[in-house]
Amino acid sequence: MTTTSNPVRTPTPNRVRRPLPAVGSQLFLLLLTLGFLAPVAWAILSAFKPAIDIIRYPLAFDPTTFNLDNFTEMFSDIPIGLGFLNTGIVLVVKGAITLFFAPLAAYAFAKYDFPGKNLLFGAVLVTLMLPTIVLIIPLLLEMKELGWVNTYQALILPGSVDAFAIFWMRQVIAAVPDELLDAARVDGCGEFGIFWRIVVPVIRPGLAGLAVLTVMNIYNDFVWPVVIASSERMATLQVMLSTLAATISGNKIGADYATVTGELLAAASVALIPLLVIFIAFQRHFINGILAGSVKG
Amino acid sequence: MTATIAPETVRPAPRSRRGASRFPLRRRLAPYVFVLPFVAVFGAFSVYPMLFTLRLSFTNWRGAGSAEWVGLDNYTYLLGNPGFWSSMANSGVLWLLIVPVQIAVALVVAVLLDNAKTRLRGFYRTAFIVPFVTPLVAIAQIWVVLFDQNYGAINGALNLVGLPDIGWLTTSEWAKPTLALLFLWKTTGFIVIILLSGLQAIDGSVYEAAALDGASRTRQLWSVTVPLIRRTMMFAVILQTLAVFQMFAEPYVVTQGGPYSSTTTAGYYLYNHITRGDLGTGAANSFLLVIFVMVLSLAFVRLLRAKD
Repeated sequence: MTTTSNPVRTPTPNRVRRPLPAVGSQLFLLLLTLGFLAPVAWAILSAFKPAIDIIRYPLAFDPTTFNLDNFTEMFSDIPIGLGFLNTGIVLVVKGAITLFFAPLAAYAFAKYDFPGKNLLFGAVLVTLMLPTIVLIIPLLLEMKELGWVNTYQALILPGSVDAFAIFWMRQVIAAVPDELLDAARVDGCGEFGIFWRIVVPVIRPGLAGLAVLTVMNIYNDFVWPVVIASSERMATLQVMLSTLAATISGNKIGADYATVTGELLAAASVALIPLLVIFIAFQRHFINGILAGSVKG
Repeated sequence: MTATIAPETVRPAPRSRRGASRFPLRRRLAPYVFVLPFVAVFGAFSVYPMLFTLRLSFTNWRGAGSAEWVGLDNYTYLLGNPGFWSSMANSGVLWLLIVPVQIAVALVVAVLLDNAKTRLRGFYRTAFIVPFVTPLVAIAQIWVVLFDQNYGAINGALNLVGLPDIGWLTTSEWAKPTLALLFLWKTTGFIVIILLSGLQAIDGSVYEAAALDGASRTRQLWSVTVPLIRRTMMFAVILQTLAVFQMFAEPYVVTQGGPYSSTTTAGYYLYNHITRGDLGTGAANSFLLVIFVMVLSLAFVRLLRAKD
């Protein structure tokens, strides 16, 4: 590719090199993006097609035939509203616990010296490495002991002050200058007041990132809920979606398969959309939060 | 052991104004109060269950009745069991299908997104992370429909260009790549963002120097970029190694570990013990998996240190 520089524009000061395969890399990014967005777009668009067309013509989209049949069928077949309610309750309470107590603990780890600190923080790091599944058996037994099987507290409390959240927030809070905290102390601010009135406002971008990640993790959580909240009354949205799979593999014949597929895509779309909206609205905070909090090369 | 951060080295003045040589009691107690909620949740729902699992792994308990101490029997049973080894091998193959491809693609994408001359950077960044935020169960269900042998859109597209149907989820040779594709699709965007954070810490002048020395773009990527973000890359590799060996929800929803156990991952095999009520063996399996993953992570860290 020949580079035609615009004579009017002054060259940028720290120009590195000619972007050699600019067209090639742009094309590469574009194709990859298409591949990343296609499954979601395909599912949402297909959910509006007549069920039989989804399996007969999986690649054809005729907007004139679009309708809401799959959605109305799905809403009458599975109590997805209850799933949203259960997920919503867990999301609000567990999210609030994590977003308050994880930064608070992280503040102690980042800005205080106290005996036992390294031991505790080491425990945080070990927890990060443990597979969730290791804790499933004893946690289930513990919940049975407590009589918490199929309750909200069983969905909310385990994992509520998340180790990753503490790890991430510790890095964010460590970057807050000590002078700022000392100045507040001189002004007579209490230790909690320093956290609440100085640290929290300063780390707000990081907190916003943590909020998006926390909402996402809780909304998408599956392994623990499927074990502990298997009753129909307590099932979260994801648990409901997963039992839909059992239905589909049980009815793999002809039109029946089409109906189930239509409902399944409708349910998946309904589950996808809230999170996509939240993410697209707050994605700057989320991405910048990760960028600010990750390990530096 | 003293911590590396000494908060008071910069400005000793406020301390002397308080008139005490040591910090006041309130300040010494505060951190304990702040970590208390974490310690309570952590102790009750992580440490206690972990110790319980450890004890359980030395018994033959099946969820009811009395537990009999069997020493290392569960461990020796697993280590001599082909099912255990084939679950580890399945996860190993998935690791090979996922991690090298993912790191390479994510690195190229991150470098392109870090280049200010690339157009639509914001759009791409958002688009790549969309799969990461979608609920795994929902997308796994979509995968089942897309890759269906008879009615799926993927085989539909293959037929359009004259290729025959592929049994993506029904043959043991294709089931693993299909799951790997799901995993790659779901998490590559996140790895891009992590690598991007490493790239943004690089001083642009090193590239100018490399360009002046006549290094080509590919050469720059290999000789300048990769060494400078080695730590971030290793972080990503460790993160994904943990995730691949723990992989559970993907085979649970998409393949139920089949066909012919070809997608029974280490995490899924562990779950099988639980559903059979064989809790002692399940607990032992958990610890074998943890030990394996930790050794692997430490090996990666060593590898990194050796290069320094």
